[in-house]
Amino acid sequence: MYSIAIHGGAGAVPRAMLSEQREQRYRAGLEAALDGGFALLERGGSSLDAVSAAVRILEDDPSFNAGHGAALTRDGAAELDAAIMDGRQLRAGAVASVRHVRNPIELARRVMEKSRHVLLVGAGAEEFALEENFALVPNRYFRTVERQEQLECEQRGQRVSDLVPSSQGTVGAVALDGDGNLAAATSTGGMTNKRPGRVGDSPIIGAGTYAKNGVCAVSATGHGEYFIRAVAAHHVCAAVEYRALSLQQAVHETLHEILAALGGDGGLIAVGTDGQIVMDFSTEGMFRGARDSGGRREIAIY
Amino acid sequence: MSRPKLLALLCLAVAVAPAVAVEPRPLAIAIHGGAGVIDPHKMTPEGAASYRAGLAAALDAGYAVLERGGTSLDAVEAAVRTMEDDPQFNAGRGALLGHDGDAELDAAIMDGSGPRAGAVANVRHVKNPVELARLVMDKSPHVLFVGEGAEEFALQQGVVLVPRSYFRTARRLAELNEARRAEQAGLRETPSGGTVGAVALDRAGNLAAATSTGGFASNHPTGRVGDSPLIGAGTYANNESCAVSGTGHGESFIRQVVAYDICALLQYRHLTLAQAVREVIHQKLRRSGGEGGVIAVDRSGNIAMDFNSVGMFRGARDSRGRRDIAMYRDAQ
Repeated sequence: MYSIAIHGGAGAVPRAMLSEQREQRYRAGLEAALDGGFALLERGGSSLDAVSAAVRILEDDPSFNAGHGAALTRDGAAELDAAIMDGRQLRAGAVASVRHVRNPIELARRVMEKSRHVLLVGAGAEEFALEENFALVPNRYFRTVERQEQLECEQRGQRVSDLVPSSQGTVGAVALDGDGNLAAATSTGGMTNKRPGRVGDSPIIGAGTYAKNGVCAVSATGHGEYFIRAVAAHHVCAAVEYRALSLQQAVHETLHEILAALGGDGGLIAVGTDGQIVMDFSTEGMFRGARDSGGRREIAIY
Repeated sequence: MSRPKLLALLCLAVAVAPAVAVEPRPLAIAIHGGAGVIDPHKMTPEGAASYRAGLAAALDAGYAVLERGGTSLDAVEAAVRTMEDDPQFNAGRGALLGHDGDAELDAAIMDGSGPRAGAVANVRHVKNPVELARLVMDKSPHVLFVGEGAEEFALQQGVVLVPRSYFRTARRLAELNEARRAEQAGLRETPSGGTVGAVALDRAGNLAAATSTGGFASNHPTGRVGDSPLIGAGTYANNESCAVSGTGHGESFIRQVVAYDICALLQYRHLTLAQAVREVIHQKLRRSGGEGGVIAVDRSGNIAMDFNSVGMFRGARDSRGRRDIAMYRDAQ
């Protein structure tokens, strides 16, 4: 059994505001990422490679809030965060607040594999990228016209129109490979109009990203501060491991009880050690997709 | 009844009253000044006395807040701030200097009621990072700020920044030079970390935790962030379970989500605080090669301080009369 699930952010985009044309674009982007990750699993690749590939495709797609097309800070710049975790040995890598790395998920993976550290931030993370022969890109690479309009709307105090995924969007993937290894990856541009230096849950191991073989792999999207306080991704795994809750119960409790009590909304995707996929959210929608070796393949928004 | 007899009875009643009154809710605080920081064989008696005095000052500063009815949040902040201002600890003033001669500071604080949290990472001009972490929690809707953005927020909050030279104490500069020489000679320098932290329970039953660090020595890249400012890894507090502050090999603490895991074991597997701490420090962390320790306190005021390293500078004080300071395994 092998399986993969992806998300492209959870948001409060009213269904009526999403044009058909735009919806097609998001569905196509999700399909490309889902199938890109799944193709690796099918060839016997690792879950780590599958989640990296899926997230990289979403980072490159300007429709999603990660990499190219990331939400912009108050200063109009893109500041990116990403994390990846290998459930096999609990290895992890993450970067936060980088401004010139085309695919933050690749840098997070490099931190995991080539450094003795887990989290590198800011200019230090970019210095490490250069040492690892990453070609840095100018910050304008990430900025799209839509994101600039979205920022201006926010700064004028207007509610964002149909520019989805909303300001709380994030992309992520979780997978189980044929060898039983679990992996999770998450990447984001953060909140639109965020203060420079603000870091959400995505690059924080245990909050927005977690994977542990024999238990589960989780990637989160939503109001990051609440996911940090709740240690949401690890909470899901702890509920499965310590209380023998089903993955579905664990995800449900985390979103609809723990986070709801704190006042935070968002979504979670998770895959269990048996390949079972759970995708749940407390917002109006979550861009998501799931595919497994049993023949399941679906893309959904609401 | 004669007047003297009545007086005697009254006196007796007054004397007996406290004994029959409900025992006040317990107060407890524990602090650490780093695990595995100094080899006991290299520790001079003067050095040991100086560390003990520093720990005692922080412990008593925090306990004084609890004793006068203050919150656990104020107590852990006071204890950590005291250690940040003491140059012998790796936090605030005495932060280890990185390769470029600058200190990079991280801190976090968490209020178990809520729970609420605030943290900063990779700041270079903030005298007391734990105070800035508290401001992030109290005055912003966010939890974590890093780098220049964190310092921008500090300025907006009226925090006075200090020049980098504030952290370049003679002792840390000498250590940096020694590290650079060792590096040039091709010797692999042993990373000497260290962190400070505090956990507390106040009269109202609220738990809080705070951690602050100057990170690792010069052989670490700039921008490296350890477990201290990461909620769930190095710092966690929840009134429903416990408060934890960690110190040690930060990367291992992040991967294992150590602080939260201890509270999850307590809450969901119903282990005692001491058992939960032991399982995480001596089983899970040791299996993955992670060295370090934690201090923790639960809702009943039980304190656990445990480590798998040579030592952990630590102190504990509670309303039952306990007050101890220790550095190595044998409680000395």
